[in-house]
Amino acid sequence: MDSLVALNGIGVSLGGKQILRALDVKLQPGEILGVSGPNGSGKTTLVRLLATLLRPDKGSGVVLEAELGSNDIYRARRSIGLIGHTPALIDELSLRENLIHFARLGGPDAEQVDQVLSVVGLEDAGGRLTSASSFGMKRRIEVAYLLMTRPSLVLLDEATSGLDSAAQGLVAALLERTINLGGGALMVSHDADSLESVCGRLLRIHDGRLESTQ
Amino acid sequence: MTFWSQALEIARVDLAVERRLGDSLRIVTPFAIVALIVFPLALGAQLSLIAEIGPAVFWALGVLFGMQIALRRSANDTPHRRDLYALIGLDPAAKYVGRVISGGVLMLAFLIVLYVAMLVLYSPDLPGGATWIAMLTALLFGVGLTELGTMAGEVTSGLSNRSSLASLIVAPLALPLVIGASQTLEALDRDVSILPWILLLLATDLALAVAGVALARPIEESMR
Amino acid sequence: MTKVRVLLGLAGVALVVGLWFALTAPADALQGEYSRIINIHVPTIWVAYVAFVVTSVGSLMWMWKKTPKWDRLAASSVEVGVLFTGISLLTGMIWGNAVWGTAWDWGDARLTTTAVMFFVYLGYLALRNSIDDPKVRAKRSAILGIIAVVQVPLTYFAVNLFRTLHQTQSIRPDGSTMPDEMIVAMMVNLGAFTLLYVALLVARIEVAVAEEAASARDTALAGDAVKPPKLDEVRDV
Repeated sequence: MDSLVALNGIGVSLGGKQILRALDVKLQPGEILGVSGPNGSGKTTLVRLLATLLRPDKGSGVVLEAELGSNDIYRARRSIGLIGHTPALIDELSLRENLIHFARLGGPDAEQVDQVLSVVGLEDAGGRLTSASSFGMKRRIEVAYLLMTRPSLVLLDEATSGLDSAAQGLVAALLERTINLGGGALMVSHDADSLESVCGRLLRIHDGRLESTQ
Repeated sequence: MTFWSQALEIARVDLAVERRLGDSLRIVTPFAIVALIVFPLALGAQLSLIAEIGPAVFWALGVLFGMQIALRRSANDTPHRRDLYALIGLDPAAKYVGRVISGGVLMLAFLIVLYVAMLVLYSPDLPGGATWIAMLTALLFGVGLTELGTMAGEVTSGLSNRSSLASLIVAPLALPLVIGASQTLEALDRDVSILPWILLLLATDLALAVAGVALARPIEESMR
Repeated sequence: MTKVRVLLGLAGVALVVGLWFALTAPADALQGEYSRIINIHVPTIWVAYVAFVVTSVGSLMWMWKKTPKWDRLAASSVEVGVLFTGISLLTGMIWGNAVWGTAWDWGDARLTTTAVMFFVYLGYLALRNSIDDPKVRAKRSAILGIIAVVQVPLTYFAVNLFRTLHQTQSIRPDGSTMPDEMIVAMMVNLGAFTLLYVALLVARIEVAVAEEAASARDTALAGDAVKPPKLDEVRDV
């Protein structure tokens, strides 16, 4: 695979409004790319585009060898890991039950759940209802799932906001492992400082366009 | 993971969540029984009229309150969970089938309780064998209503007026189910063949199943 | 739990004694053996009335004092009250089917109002079940507990307000329509079911206390239960 991600002149509009314009960006294996920008600048839209959850209305793009807008994206999705700015867990299940549920649907071995809970430091808290768990605990479960699925492309949308240093270290370990396995990652945040220590390259998004910060 | 194992996993979790939320059995079902009580109170103590309208009221309330079961909270995904399900590789058709399975279980339990309550409260004069035919009819009626409600729930997902809008969409589309179900008991009462009405219900259920599975992915993609 | 066991034991003995009185009292001349159901039907609805009045008192006290024990009392009393109302409705339907030929008569105001009372308090329980925050739950259910008690006099006096199939009160200030032995049997069973109500109420309150303690433990444990991640094991997953 030459590039994990290659976007050429990509434009995305939502609700009649142009959110992303003429984006050109590449992400190579082994690279962690950081994208900062103010609220409403299109960061989440960029993440969802790379997750193949949105179709571009201009330009062309390839993510994990799948052309955006083609049916190949369904294959590519299995190798993409996403941690969005809001946890996607089911509130009425426990943390452990959530992990088992997504593991059963997605394919990784559900038997691994207890081992992974221990790795992320939730072996004693797995039985807690998700609705009664803190934001940090929910994030650890999302990281745990990505540890199980080993995605080639990890997308993080404000994933470390509001996390303590231990949890941030866990996210960093996830990224390091992804790189070591030949994958890559994109992190977006409104806080450029938080990206500097982790990302090899930094871009800034403004009014739907990407600019280099270096 | 296979299509059916995904569908069964969705059904399993849906029922587990519903057991903890308790909306269907603790709120919708008692509310429907209260509605059963409202009709006769409004009619006054006209016992023969009450007995006559019993089955009709049952089917009508079955649609109106059954809709609330099809639209239960456990069947409503947040946008972030939809994204996660999409990335996991959950087949939207499998999710649809899973929700119909779990919804069908809840719907059947609801209809059985409502039917028993109707029998007690309205004392309808039903022909022999009516209870078994009614159960079969309720099963077909319930499956169709669940299929319809699950699709309507998906189409209206995320909208603030989801509950009323989905009900508005489903109620007229449920007419073949109401007609098939009520006419089955009517035919039994007149001692004519119930087969055409049972076939109507079966055909409606099958058509909705095919439509639901075929439209699941386009509906899912339209959410983006 | 010892207190609950003693109360349940006493209630059990009282129920057995009540059963003996119910079976040895003379049967009604017209209704025959079916009249003995009165020894369950009437005491259970009486106790239900008491339970819902206790709820309203507990609710008022909570609104005044804001202490959890009043909320526990109100909620626990509703649960037991709903149970007894259900038993009364069921025995009433059995009795009605045997005596009037119909389990349900829309002309019977007391039957209808009792059913409505049952669902009002089911709604109370559904409301409590929908709220996680204990203070919000206590406040909203206290409001409902105070309003809902209007069902009790409405149900009790329904037979006087409407001319219906249901018999009027068997025991009134101006005398009784029942033979003395039947009255004694009914009073003994009333005492027995009241003891049962108290036993169940105390048991339910103890369970509520244990549930609150478990919930507080879970909340307190949140920070303790989260351990540092094992970063050196990440690569092995």
